Amino acid sequence: MQITTKSLASLTALLLLAGTASAQDDKIIIGGAMCLTGVQAPLDTPGMKGAEVAVKYLNDNGGLLGKQVEFINVDGKSDPVTVGNAAVELIDKGADLIMAPCDFDFGSPASREAQEAGIVGISACASDPLYSSWSLGDKQFTLSMWNTTMGATAADFAFKEKGWKTAYVVTDQFIAYTKSLSKYFVDQFKANGGEILLEDTYTNGDNNFSAQLARLQALGKKPDVIFLSSYGQDIGVIIRALREVGYDAPVLGGDAYDDPGMHAALGESLGNNVFFVTHTFMTPDAHPDMQKFLDLYQQMHGAAPDTAFVATGWDTVMLMAEAVKAAGSTEGGAVAKALEDGKFKLLTGDLDYGTTEEGHVPNKAAVMVELKGGKPTFLGWRTPERLPAP
Amino acid sequence: MTFAIQFVIDVLSLGGAYALMALGLVIVYGILRLVNFAYGELIMVAGYTMFLFSGSGLPWLVMAAVAVIMAVLAGIATDYVAFRPVRAKSVTAVLITSFAFSTLLQNAALLFISPRPQTVPLPALFSQTVTIGGAITPLRNLITIAAAVILLALFALLMRRTVLGIAMRAAATNFTMARMLGVPANLIISSAFAISGFLAGVVGLLWIGRIGTVVPGIGLEPLLVAFIATVIGGMRSLSGAVIGGFLLALIDTTLNYTLSQDLLKFRDAFTFSLVILILLWRPEGLVKGPATGQRT
Repeated sequence: MQITTKSLASLTALLLLAGTASAQDDKIIIGGAMCLTGVQAPLDTPGMKGAEVAVKYLNDNGGLLGKQVEFINVDGKSDPVTVGNAAVELIDKGADLIMAPCDFDFGSPASREAQEAGIVGISACASDPLYSSWSLGDKQFTLSMWNTTMGATAADFAFKEKGWKTAYVVTDQFIAYTKSLSKYFVDQFKANGGEILLEDTYTNGDNNFSAQLARLQALGKKPDVIFLSSYGQDIGVIIRALREVGYDAPVLGGDAYDDPGMHAALGESLGNNVFFVTHTFMTPDAHPDMQKFLDLYQQMHGAAPDTAFVATGWDTVMLMAEAVKAAGSTEGGAVAKALEDGKFKLLTGDLDYGTTEEGHVPNKAAVMVELKGGKPTFLGWRTPERLPAP
Repeated sequence: MTFAIQFVIDVLSLGGAYALMALGLVIVYGILRLVNFAYGELIMVAGYTMFLFSGSGLPWLVMAAVAVIMAVLAGIATDYVAFRPVRAKSVTAVLITSFAFSTLLQNAALLFISPRPQTVPLPALFSQTVTIGGAITPLRNLITIAAAVILLALFALLMRRTVLGIAMRAAATNFTMARMLGVPANLIISSAFAISGFLAGVVGLLWIGRIGTVVPGIGLEPLLVAFIATVIGGMRSLSGAVIGGFLLALIDTTLNYTLSQDLLKFRDAFTFSLVILILLWRPEGLVKGPATGQRT
């Protein structure tokens, strides 16, 4: 019996090896565990569409290391366990690199499997500092700036650029992202010399901001700036609630604001004096290659992208391609080293990863955007001088 | 004083929405003894109808009427697709078909429209504010209160004074007996789904009026709220559902106003602890429904 099990196991291993080897001979496979259904879908679907454009672009221009690139996505279904299983399936199919979902909670299982298999995994836009080599391993990266950069950029913009001295901070208790973003903003804003008048809590999905408003009104002082870290539709709900009762102070936030649906929902009357830090901007102002990407995207998908998050997918694949080229192979250790050593000029900003000891901190530039009459306008790239400790 | 007025308006407007949500769920439960897990998707249907008509140039009220009609049709479709074919078989079967229908509708929206939030047209009236006794409140909240009062009154009238209402109450009390006395089962059940869809449609407009956008998963929160409210109020009683809705809003709003920042993070834990306490005290909910009746 034992012999049978053993021989079966070795047979399976052989088959797997054979499968992997044959797959690696003629093409390079990028495995995506992006979530196309469930709560994560709004962030992951655009990333995947952007990645598809990048893969086609690579193949049309001679492939990578002389091989064709293939992108296979297995739906992670917004469930961490499923994401992990999707990654296992992709690795079995011979994936050389893994593209992980856009969030630590949903993306990390894919990165853990990639690490286990000794290959590089990159999350398309997870921004929590938990997405680091400290917690996931020496071959794992995130394309996004960390929330330390995002929060610090917002705080520097408010205090140093605009001279806003007092802030009212609202934190949605939804996920690690919403909580840590406020934390780093407050840290940097205080370090700059600013004063936090009031910190308040919101529960995602409440769609009711009246108790918080009552507390703000009871304060008797109007803040110079309102920092609001929330997620999804609730951002629009809260801004609407604030504006309706006459709080017209500037509202500041992170990349969750980068959502044309929210901009349209606020519209001309309410979508003013709102600022946010995000990854990029969909015009050539942000990057000379942006127009090329937009044209390719339009060609492939038949419509212009509906969010700037598509650029994170393109960048993830292009970053992988650059690193593989520099390493001369898809071997995990070599690609990881190329990522650590290289400096990259991406659609989503200049990127320079820290070493494994530094957690693969993505030293990255961020974009500031202002909402005017419900329309986003590009304010430019910013890089904070000091970062709060993660 | 201002504070008190603000508080009362908040409780009533949130409670009004919650009560309507709960009523839409309990009307089907009362007759079939089955929770319609696709209830939240009726709200989604209303939302996406608004989105799809947003470019049509129709007056808002017409769009809203179409959205409510679509929710009613979706409610009736729930009956035909998920309930009627397996109704006589087992509770488990219907449970699963209603989940399946919910998933089907959500994924249809995700695939054919978009996983990203879509803007829903709102009348300017919704964002205007009024000042009552020093408290500034969006007109939307008052509209919600008014809609809840009117619909609850109409609903009570329907259930007490019309043949359909009386037949539905009879069916909810003892379905087999009602059928023996000539109450047509399918008609009654379809009517319950239609009313459920109507309430979901109206509540959808009010709920999405707070948000401004619609996503495939928009129905989850209302379904959860409706479910908790009916559990508190009594699964078998229509008035219980309304009371449960207002009570849940009262608990939520009170906690929102009074908890300190450190505790506010755990507000839902407090809410559910209170719900558990209420259920320990009244295991059948606050209002007991009709005493007899087997699931049919």
